[in-house]
Parts: sequence; structure tokens; C-alpha cells
Amino acid sequence: MATVEDRVKVVTGRILGVDPGEIRPEHSFTFDLGAESVQSIELVAAFEVEFGIEMDEDEALAVETVGSAVEFIAKVCREQGVEVEE
Amino acid sequence: MTTVAPELTDKVTDGGAHPLDAVFYPQSVAVCGVVPTPDTVPYDIFRNILDSGFTGTLYPVAPFKRNIHSVRAYRYVVDIPDPVDLAVIVYPANVVDKALAQCGQKGVKAVIVISAGFREVGPKGALREQRIKEICAEHGIAMIGPNCLGVINTDPKSRLNASFARKMPEAGRIGFLSQSGALCTAVLDFARDKAIGFSKFVSFGNKAGVTEVDLLTYLHEDDQTDVILLYLEEITDGRALVEVARRVTRGPNAKPILAMKSGRTPQGARAAASHTGSLAGQDAVADAIFRESGILRVDSIEELFDAAILYAYQPMPEGNRVAIVTNAGGPGVMATDAAVGLGLGVGGFEQNTSEKLKASLPAAANIKNPVDVIGDARSDRYNAALAAVLEDPNVDQALVILTPQSMTDIDAIAEGIIEVHESATKPIVCSFMGAADVASGIQKLQRAHIPHYILPEWACHAMAQVQRIRQWRELPEDRPEALPVDREAAAAILDAAPAGHLPEDQALAVLKAYGLPVPAFLRACSEEEAVACAEEIGYPAVLRLVSREVVHKTEIGGVALDLADADAVRLAFGRMTARFAEARPDAEPVGVLVRGMIASGNEVILGAERDPAFGPVLMFGLGGLYVELFRDVTFAMAPISLARARRMVRDVKAGKLLYGLRGQPPSDIAGVEESLVRLGQLLLDFHRILELDVNPLIARPVEAGGNAVADVGIRLAEAQA
Repeated sequence: MATVEDRVKVVTGRILGVDPGEIRPEHSFTFDLGAESVQSIELVAAFEVEFGIEMDEDEALAVETVGSAVEFIAKVCREQGVEVEE
Repeated sequence: MTTVAPELTDKVTDGGAHPLDAVFYPQSVAVCGVVPTPDTVPYDIFRNILDSGFTGTLYPVAPFKRNIHSVRAYRYVVDIPDPVDLAVIVYPANVVDKALAQCGQKGVKAVIVISAGFREVGPKGALREQRIKEICAEHGIAMIGPNCLGVINTDPKSRLNASFARKMPEAGRIGFLSQSGALCTAVLDFARDKAIGFSKFVSFGNKAGVTEVDLLTYLHEDDQTDVILLYLEEITDGRALVEVARRVTRGPNAKPILAMKSGRTPQGARAAASHTGSLAGQDAVADAIFRESGILRVDSIEELFDAAILYAYQPMPEGNRVAIVTNAGGPGVMATDAAVGLGLGVGGFEQNTSEKLKASLPAAANIKNPVDVIGDARSDRYNAALAAVLEDPNVDQALVILTPQSMTDIDAIAEGIIEVHESATKPIVCSFMGAADVASGIQKLQRAHIPHYILPEWACHAMAQVQRIRQWRELPEDRPEALPVDREAAAAILDAAPAGHLPEDQALAVLKAYGLPVPAFLRACSEEEAVACAEEIGYPAVLRLVSREVVHKTEIGGVALDLADADAVRLAFGRMTARFAEARPDAEPVGVLVRGMIASGNEVILGAERDPAFGPVLMFGLGGLYVELFRDVTFAMAPISLARARRMVRDVKAGKLLYGLRGQPPSDIAGVEESLVRLGQLLLDFHRILELDVNPLIARPVEAGGNAVADVGIRLAEAQA
């Protein structure tokens, strides 16, 4: 099973048109990866579909970096009983 | 004093340029955080710069984008191979600090931070704003914003539209500075409709870096700008604003400043103990101080431009005399009423002019001022009348009024005015009254930069504003003077006093040390002491309760007047202390102050307080018990000169009382003026004084004994360690 981080990078790469291999945990979605505000909302929706979870939109949109997104999604998966490879 | 970062005031860029030249005349601009989606702020700013004809080089910074609108894009500003003078930051607020750190690394000289989400959203945003201020200060970067619309420079040497306004405005001679971005877009649209052009247009948002003080200084030296318009929501450094305004509006290269300030009064909710504190809302203080700094305050955007276009596009009149030319009697009279009411002169013509008018107008026309060319007038009569009145030496400016009758050739009249204007040395303003029929004539006038106003009264307002500009420039230079005072005696009391209200006897002693007219007084702690004091000072006597905790003594019977003998003093003392014990069982009286009765006179209030924006501020006006009811007061920033004090006295209705009404002799006005100057000195010398009221000062003629302080309140801050 791919790790949460790998899956986050794949989804991010798809939504933002970026090679997942170039994405680092410390990258900011907006500053380093060029996410527009509408894409931030798309990312939240895409993560929910990818992981089968529901996220609080305000909390999710407050996440700034790829690494923080990985941590946040892992936490939500644990809370909602979704098995993931961390 | 400039609020541009200290590093910037010493910074010498290429050719010794001003730090803000990188904002207005950058050779290269990077738009950081651009996105490829039209109708978004980041994209629209980028397109605006591209489409406005910017003379420099433009670089979009957009991670993982090869280009934006065919212009090669870079991932980070540090990736740009060439120097970057100006960066326009459009990232979300949470990453602006990263962008600025990179700008610092890159050697960017100035930034415009468009992004919102800073101080205006609350404490978290305020912290973010503090952080970006620090980064800019560290790297010596001039920052406009954050939370702003951007900057526009119409100078052909730059042609920069680094904003998300819909269109580049026409070039003109008016500089516009605004704290509100939303207002800017409305102003630009309004101006376009009236063919008003701008030299520079700046929305400075939260003014975390560059403030209106820096921008006024810059526009003062800008050879493209003749008049400066300012919209402010808050004044943070009022002293610096006043200093720069005085410099900009007078002396060589003087330029008028017209300002709108929205009436946000954070002090309004403040619990003020003193009369001065409760009357000195920031708006009232700003109003008075603006007048004395050369800033003309107006109440609407319309009024702002009404005066600006007249100043910018017409010569300065040499005096206040107006000639009115109208084809309708009613509007002519209305205009005359308005003009005279606003201090303009509507006088007669010399014989030569009257003869010219008689020769070119029909017998039914009125050839006196206002000249009525009558309802069936066409352009020939208007041209002749206008030319004749402008040549009259008793006329400084002309107002042309037109009402659209069936035979009125509106366009031809407009063209005639334009032709006369081309060789005129005196200003011409117009009022073509109406809307649909006169529209094309108005457009012609506006295109020719002849000021037009829908109503003649508005034209008169604009002319009156220009008169104020002229009169301000002719005022002599005003230098505050220091009068001799006993600073040590005041310090001995103030330095030892705890925070809070000073007991009245100590407050009087402080005033006496600073030369205010304080009548003789003594303090007593018992009934017999009070009698002994009264015997010494003389009857009739006055007892006043002394307590640190009671400010308004009258309300609890803490004042007893006109005590004729010892028995009266004993009775008054007993009653006063009993009433005090009942009303304020928690407070400890210190005793009573004993003095003589002060003969009646005019009651005025002299006050002082520390305004958050302007620092030490003085107040003068009608005093007594009902000072807050009548609010007949004015303000000035300390220190003041005697001349300024004189103007304060004249500015209020109470001043007329002092000059003598209905045969009454005048009060010691010079003494009142001097007391105001001395209070200003007191407040500047002792920073612990937060508020001070002398209410009332009894103003009387010199031969009747002169002025006397009847009551005083001083509130102190904690002593600094």
C-alpha cells in the first residue's frame, strides 16, 4: 500500500499539474506549488475521495504545506477508522 | 520626520534616487503569485501592467508555469536572472513573509503587497503584519500595503498600472492617495466620466510600511503633480502628518492638499474624566488641526474633485472677486447668494466694462454683476459678456451659468468659452444646469479642462476652497514661543504625585508655577483652620472640597460660595464634610481649599490632553457647567504661538464674548492667549499629565482685576521607572 505521503503527492500533482517527484513535504501549496484558491478547494475534495474521509473544510483549508496535509489526513483517517499506511 | 524605514532614508539607489522611485519608476517589476486564470486579482494585476504600456520589464512569478499570457514565468523571484526593482505580491497572506524574504534575498527595492488578511482581520493578522514589517525593515525594502489596490503612475516615463483597477486613468496633474482600496475604484470611474486625469494614484491599504506622510513628501517633489487628494480612515502619526502638510502646502513649490477623513472615533467609547477628554473626539481634533496645517478637509468625493479640478486646471485667482454671467436671473441670484455667503466678492464693474456690455447686449439685459444676458442669448452674447468681465480689473474669476432654453446653442456656447479660456489669465468655471440637453456641452468643457459643476452653488464652494488655499499661503509663518515658567516648582509637585487626579491645591500650584492667573488660596483640614484661612485671605470666601477621588465637586455639594464671615465658613465646612461623607463613604477627603470670591466675568474653558494621533492637544472655548452641552470649542496641537492662540479665541463664539458684547468692556484676551500658550508648554514639559481642565477661567477686563482660574483638574499617568 502506498503511504499517505505518496498518495497526497499524487493527488496534488494531478490537481496542480506538477510532477509528484518534485513535491516535498516542506512545500507550501500556494507559494511553492502555485495552487490558486479554487484549486485549494479542489484539493480538499480530491483528498476526501482518495482517502474515503470527510474533512472539516475550514480546518482543511488552513493547512499550508504538503507535510501538514499528510499529518492532518493521517489524523482524520485514524479518527474515522480508515486504514492507511503512514 | 518620515516613516519610511530608517534604512531607506539613507539608502542611495542608482543616481541618488528616492526610495519610492522604485515604486513609481521601476525599471523592472515582478508580479509574485500570478495565476493563469483571468478575472482573478493576481492575473488582472499582471495583465494591467502588461496592457498599460509599462516602459520597463515585467516578470511573472508563478510556480510550475512555463509562462503567463506568453510571458516567460519563474518559479521564485530569486530565479529571475535580472535585477528586480519592484515586486507586486499577490500571494495569500500566510505565505507573504516567505515571498518578502526572497525579495530581500534578491535585492528588490520596493514591494506592493496587495494581499489581504493582515491587521484588518484581527490579532492573528496583526502578528502577520508585524512579521512582514520586520522583514522589509531588515532588508531596507519600501512596502506599500498590505491590503491595498495597488499603485498607478501615468507619467509616460513609466506608465505603470500595478493595481487591479479596471482601467488605466487618463494622465493629469492630480495625485490621489487613499487608505481605502474599494473607494479607489469608484473614484477612478467617477474621474473617467469627468475627464479628470491623475499623475499618481496610490492605494496604501494598512500602511504597514509606507504611509501617507512618505507619499505626501514624495508627491511634493513630483513634477507631474500639482494638487494632492487624500482619503484617510485613521491618523496614526498626526504630528508627522501636520509637519509634512505645512511643508507641502506653503513656501516654494507649494501644492494644496485636500482631504477626506472618515469619522471613525476610537476615542468615542473612551470613558473620559475631563471635559476636554469627553469633547476631544478624534474627528473634532483632526478638523481643527487640519485647518491649521494647510489641509483642506472636505466631506465628499464630489467636493474633493470640485476643488481639485479648479486648482489643477485653472490659474490661481489673485483675489476673491467673481463675475457671474448667466442667461437666467434666478440661478444668477442663487449663485450670488452662495458666493457672498462663502466669502467671495460679487462687486461692480468699472465704467469701461459696463460700456462694453451695454454695446454688446440687448437693452433688457442686466449689465451689473451678475450679468444677465437673458434667456434667448446665444453664443455671441456669452462670448462678448465673458470677454468683457474677464478684462475688468475688479474681477478675479468668472462663473458662467447656462440654462437650456429652446434657442440656446449649448455646444457653441461651450466652444466659445473654451476659445476665451485659451487666452484668459483668470480662472473660468461653468455651470450648465440640467442633464440630458447640456450633456454634450459639458463634455466639451471637461475635455478642455474647464471645471464644470451641475449647480452654481457647487462652483462657488470650489472657488471658496481655492480662496482658502490662497489665504493659507499668505498667512505669516507661525513659530511657537516659549514663555518663562518655573519648571522646578511644578516638577517638585508633579514628580512626587501618584497617578490619578491631583488634589486641587496642588493643581493650582502647578498652574501658578507656569504663570497662569491663580488667585491666592490656602488649604485647611479643620473647621477652625478654614476660618483662620478665610480671615487671612479675606471675605467673602469660598470653600472647595479637596479630594483625589472627586473630580466634579459641584455635583456633591463640594463648593460653597460667597461666605460672608466666620460663622458662614463654619456652617459651610460642616455641611460640606457631612455631604461628602454621605455621598462618598469610600473616599477620604483631604480637606478644603479656601480662597476669595472671584468677581463674575466670562467663563471660558482651557483644556489639554494627549491625543493618540496628535500628541499634546489644547482646547479652548465656552466654559462653565454646560461646556459639554454647547460644545463651542476648538483645538490646536501644542506647542502654539500667541498668534495661534489668538486664532483659537476667534474661532469660537465664546471669543466674541471676550471681545465685549452690548457695551461690555473686553476681557483680558491677551492674558487668555498667553495662558493657552503656557498650558501647551506645561503639557510638553511633563509627560505624566494625561488630561487637564481649567474650567472655568473667569475672563475679565484688566482694569477689573484681569483673569482668574476658578477651577482646575489635572490627571496624571503612572510615573515611569
